[in-house]
Amino acid sequence: MAGVLDVVKVQHPLEKVLEERIAIIDGAMGTTIRTYGMTEADIRGERFKDSTKDMLNNGDIFSLTQPAMICDIHRRFLEAGADIIETNTFGATSITQSEFFVDDPREHGGRKDPEFYQKIIDDKFLSGLAWDINETSARQCREWADRVGNDTGRQRFVAGAIGPLTVSLSNSPDADDAGFRVVTFDQVKHAYKEQVRALMAGGSDLLLVETIFDSLNAKAALVAIREVFDEDGTELPVSISAAVGRGGETLISAQTTEAFWNAVKHVKPLSVGLNCSLGPDLMYPFLSELAEKAETYVSAYPNAGLPNPLAVTGFDLGPEDMARFLGNFAQDGLINIAGGCCGNTPEHIAAIAKALEGKAPRVLRRAVAA
Amino acid sequence: MRDRAAHEWATQAVDVKPLRLSGSQPFTQQLGVYMMIGERTNVAGSPKFARLVKEGKYEEAVSVARQQVENGANVIDICMDEGMIDGVAAMTRYLQLLGSEPEVAKVPFMVDSSKWEVIEAGLKCLQGKGIVNSISLKEGEEKFRENAAKVLKYGAAVVVMAFDENGQAATFEEKIRICERAYRILVDEVGFPPEDIIFDPNILTVATGMEEHNNYALDFINATRWIKQNLPHAKVSGGVSNISFSFRGNNKVREAMHSAFLYHAIAAGMDMGIVNAGMLEVYEEIDPELKVLVEDVLLNRRPDATERLVEFGEALKVASAGDVVAEKKAEEWRSGTVEERLSHSLVRGIDAYIEIDAEEAYQKLGRPLLVIEGPLMAGMSVVGDLFGAGKMFLPQVVKSARVMKKAVAHLTPYMEAEKAAQEAAGEIVKAQGKIVLATVKGDVHDIGKNIVGVVLACNNYDVIDLGVMVSCEKILQRAKDEKADMIGLSGLITPSLDEMVHVAKEMERQGFKLPLLIGGATTSRAHTAIKIAPHYSQPVVHVLDASRAVPVTTSLLSDDGREEFEAKYRVEYETLRINYSQPKQPMATLEEARERRTPIVWKAEDLAVPEFFGSRVIEEMPLKTLREYIDWSPFFHTWGLKGLYPRILENESNGVEATKIFNDGQKLLDRIVREKLLTAKGVFGFFRAEAVGDDVKLPEAGETLYFLRQQTKREGKPCRSLADFVAPVETGLADSMGAFAVTAGIGLKEMTEKYRAENDDYNAIMAEALADRLAEAFAEYLHKQARDVWGYGRAETFTPAELIEEKYRGIRPAPGYPACPDHTEKGTIWRLLDVEATTGMVLTESFAMWPGSSVSGLYFAHPESRYFSLGKIERDQVEEYAERKGWSVLEVERWLGPNLNYDVVG
Repeated sequence: MAGVLDVVKVQHPLEKVLEERIAIIDGAMGTTIRTYGMTEADIRGERFKDSTKDMLNNGDIFSLTQPAMICDIHRRFLEAGADIIETNTFGATSITQSEFFVDDPREHGGRKDPEFYQKIIDDKFLSGLAWDINETSARQCREWADRVGNDTGRQRFVAGAIGPLTVSLSNSPDADDAGFRVVTFDQVKHAYKEQVRALMAGGSDLLLVETIFDSLNAKAALVAIREVFDEDGTELPVSISAAVGRGGETLISAQTTEAFWNAVKHVKPLSVGLNCSLGPDLMYPFLSELAEKAETYVSAYPNAGLPNPLAVTGFDLGPEDMARFLGNFAQDGLINIAGGCCGNTPEHIAAIAKALEGKAPRVLRRAVAA
Repeated sequence: MRDRAAHEWATQAVDVKPLRLSGSQPFTQQLGVYMMIGERTNVAGSPKFARLVKEGKYEEAVSVARQQVENGANVIDICMDEGMIDGVAAMTRYLQLLGSEPEVAKVPFMVDSSKWEVIEAGLKCLQGKGIVNSISLKEGEEKFRENAAKVLKYGAAVVVMAFDENGQAATFEEKIRICERAYRILVDEVGFPPEDIIFDPNILTVATGMEEHNNYALDFINATRWIKQNLPHAKVSGGVSNISFSFRGNNKVREAMHSAFLYHAIAAGMDMGIVNAGMLEVYEEIDPELKVLVEDVLLNRRPDATERLVEFGEALKVASAGDVVAEKKAEEWRSGTVEERLSHSLVRGIDAYIEIDAEEAYQKLGRPLLVIEGPLMAGMSVVGDLFGAGKMFLPQVVKSARVMKKAVAHLTPYMEAEKAAQEAAGEIVKAQGKIVLATVKGDVHDIGKNIVGVVLACNNYDVIDLGVMVSCEKILQRAKDEKADMIGLSGLITPSLDEMVHVAKEMERQGFKLPLLIGGATTSRAHTAIKIAPHYSQPVVHVLDASRAVPVTTSLLSDDGREEFEAKYRVEYETLRINYSQPKQPMATLEEARERRTPIVWKAEDLAVPEFFGSRVIEEMPLKTLREYIDWSPFFHTWGLKGLYPRILENESNGVEATKIFNDGQKLLDRIVREKLLTAKGVFGFFRAEAVGDDVKLPEAGETLYFLRQQTKREGKPCRSLADFVAPVETGLADSMGAFAVTAGIGLKEMTEKYRAENDDYNAIMAEALADRLAEAFAEYLHKQARDVWGYGRAETFTPAELIEEKYRGIRPAPGYPACPDHTEKGTIWRLLDVEATTGMVLTESFAMWPGSSVSGLYFAHPESRYFSLGKIERDQVEEYAERKGWSVLEVERWLGPNLNYDVVG
């Protein structure tokens, strides 16, 4: 019960930073990994050499098999000016990892349903793997954040990244039954609890529930976090970030910005914001709405524009473009945390950090005291 | 009710935080405005709903929720507490169905149960912030704290019943004591946001004949007032229908009691209540005699109040027997055409009438396929457009598809009968389309692909979904085994693009003949055209989103449509490839562009001098003359028929239809001319002109026309501006230009309104199409007059057909069109010619012309003048143009958005 109580807390050092300036969060892991020219054999290493399925796009695994490269990327983002780096754990849950290790029953005319996912949840190998990725990645980030922090005399922070999963709690893939769901809330919550514990064990400073396209998935993650805090008697700041479509809605569950804020406000997050999906220009009106409604810090780390498969990075905007857009966000008083999602390399982050230097952060709207 | 309540609020509680909830949409309580909580989805509140749930008819039960939202419920209360119902299973199933019903899912839900496990099952289905109904101190403080903490963990508001270990609070003192105790625990110990606490201080039944019950209504009202004054931010709710329970069967009295009770309770600060939104009398409209009797009871004003109300109620019951209250108002959209109704149902996701309407469309069109490929597909295409514009969201697209499924299911027996008949006649019968879908190897993302699968399955496709991480070999093998008609590949991450190229190459190598569809977040039309399509000789088509899947698959599998579709997309993709392979056109600075102006050697003999300066009005232009100047080709485009007149009349595929429409058009035009149903008016004029930079000054008129200059650098081509066609002031030569405004739309509104009133949309559209043609013809005719005024026109010997092809000297560009896209320049024409006074034509706020069927523009006479398209312009020109026009840069950017060669933030 203790965790639920509103106790007087010591101010988190990241909050202190946010009071003073706009904090920078890092860029895209996947985009940057692809510049290293890794092969299937590289990602497998010894540990996964006998895997039956392709691993190359299972980027979280690199933290286990190619730690030197992943740490190099963390270092580059930190040196580019990131105050916060994210763990390489976007898909590090038993549920998402199962896609790379367990045959899809649909290949043989079967289907994915709660029965299938119960086996995934109970699978010791997948649980162990999820733990290893999260704990290892958090530890690697911790090490580099502290190292660069010490070298530069500026404290850096590790955000334990909690991704949206490859399943939706809101959508039915069954044409005959709109009420069908492939997975249950409890199964999703279970997978998230494993991830949260491992991220905390590895030394994360905060937890970041991000790229939310289904608010119910996010809610399961937030309930999981609360339960871990309560059960383990320890607590970290929580940040929340949604991926929205052209109407400002969470893409799959179609919840609009203010509705989303109402639904997550009880968590008292350190920050709430938008990332991924739309580029910075299309994101603007919804970010502006959030900045107006939310009584907490606001973050934005958009994609480098809309996906463009013909561009080198897969996205349209270069470092200077991103710097200009986020500079405008800051100018308009919308943000407290800024960075980039898909398509943003360390060069993008360096340009953003430079553009935001000395720019005033959004003034925090605190709730009127009850 | 509202006014008085609002007033008391204003004096009572300035800083009260409203209740903020959400479904997929936000809901913010307006303080002082009573919140309606729908009760029909409560098994205790609606026998019909209880029956549907017990019988497992959940789909019908969903429509009950939908009706409540349509009737204005702000929140819907969902309760499954009934001995025969498995509460956890029913709550979960029902809420998951509601989650897939976008029109319902937009409102917050109230999860209502006396069993905690049912409440928790409900909370696990809510993406938004709902309300738990309810918790209480009945089982002691520890349990209360524990449940409250769980509610907070899921992020819901909570209803707290005024119950404690000793039972229900009936008196004012009990109510406030328990509520205060609960409030302190919630706020001080659990950390519950006080604005999310909703007390239910028990509305108990009055007029039971028991004296101790007489003050129950007043006790509630007073407790409400006390709570609002003493427990900051807390809200008050209650189950209103309890109050009148002793008058079961007498709706007249019950409605009056509910309404009067609410009137007083709301004034005391009651925020919301569970009530049937369709069953509430308006307080002011309660029979005055009844109102007094009801209020005597509620406010406990006299000892015999109950007896008097019972007596009056009995008499009323006899009198009003047989009164049927029509709860549902007729839905206006039902009066449209069957095509409109089908479209409405698809767009709004309404399945109530889809079968009836599909049947009607079938009767009208004769063949089931014509219904599917006609009005139903048209409706889905509207859905696609709205989704593309961010005005519809994915769940709504899926819901539309599910409605489509019902329509298709209704038509299926007809299709089968048709097939059987064809088979009997020895014809080859096409089977239902079969498509193999897969997320390619290396990629695990498929939520979007699953949605495409649902949409296709709803449209009667046999969908074989191979899941995620599927290798090329498996996809192709399965497609062969299943004799699939099509393969659809999906992928979300960048590396999947290469895998798609690989699949295309393999299909070519193995000699596949199936179309290949490409979809997923990182794919694009350009990428498909440039990187994938060249590797496979069969159609390779990019599908933008789930809403676009069906139009593409349908075209590809249709006997008639495939050829046209293929031809169209091949041209489009070829263009994309050509544009891609060409180096990007570099842009000139404004300064450079000016140096590249249209090269004209200015000579006095090239400058025509008009016979008059100033303007002339054509009061009534004979329609008979204009008729000869009509360019008929666009007329057919209005009707969706592609082709050039007169060849279109002979066209194999649409010639018959074109001829019919043409003949109908001629008939109506005959009538218009004969009966003068339309009037054509116009004005034109000539002005001395000199070019100054990119502007043209009309010194005598005291006006300036502002023009823009092309900035795209094209090899050997100038950067044109319309100002180039008027002699620059430096040349010292006297030049002139003209302007005009014409309309053929006077009388059009009356015509179309008359037709529409007669439900004759066909002739209404026909009249509009003809008026448009007449206006264009007028502009063409008047340009001929203008050339004559300038003199050089008199030597022309063109036939009307050659005029239509614009083979003559001089141009008449219109503001808002490619050469000068700034619509606001029309304002100058209006001032120059005094258009409004002379013709009655007006400009709207957005510089559109009224009436419709109007044309305006400028005349340039120089032999070198020609039409061009401005294309993209740079920021330097925008900034300078703003300065010249005395506008802000933002205004220019707003009017010239599509022409900007840079992104505007905001």
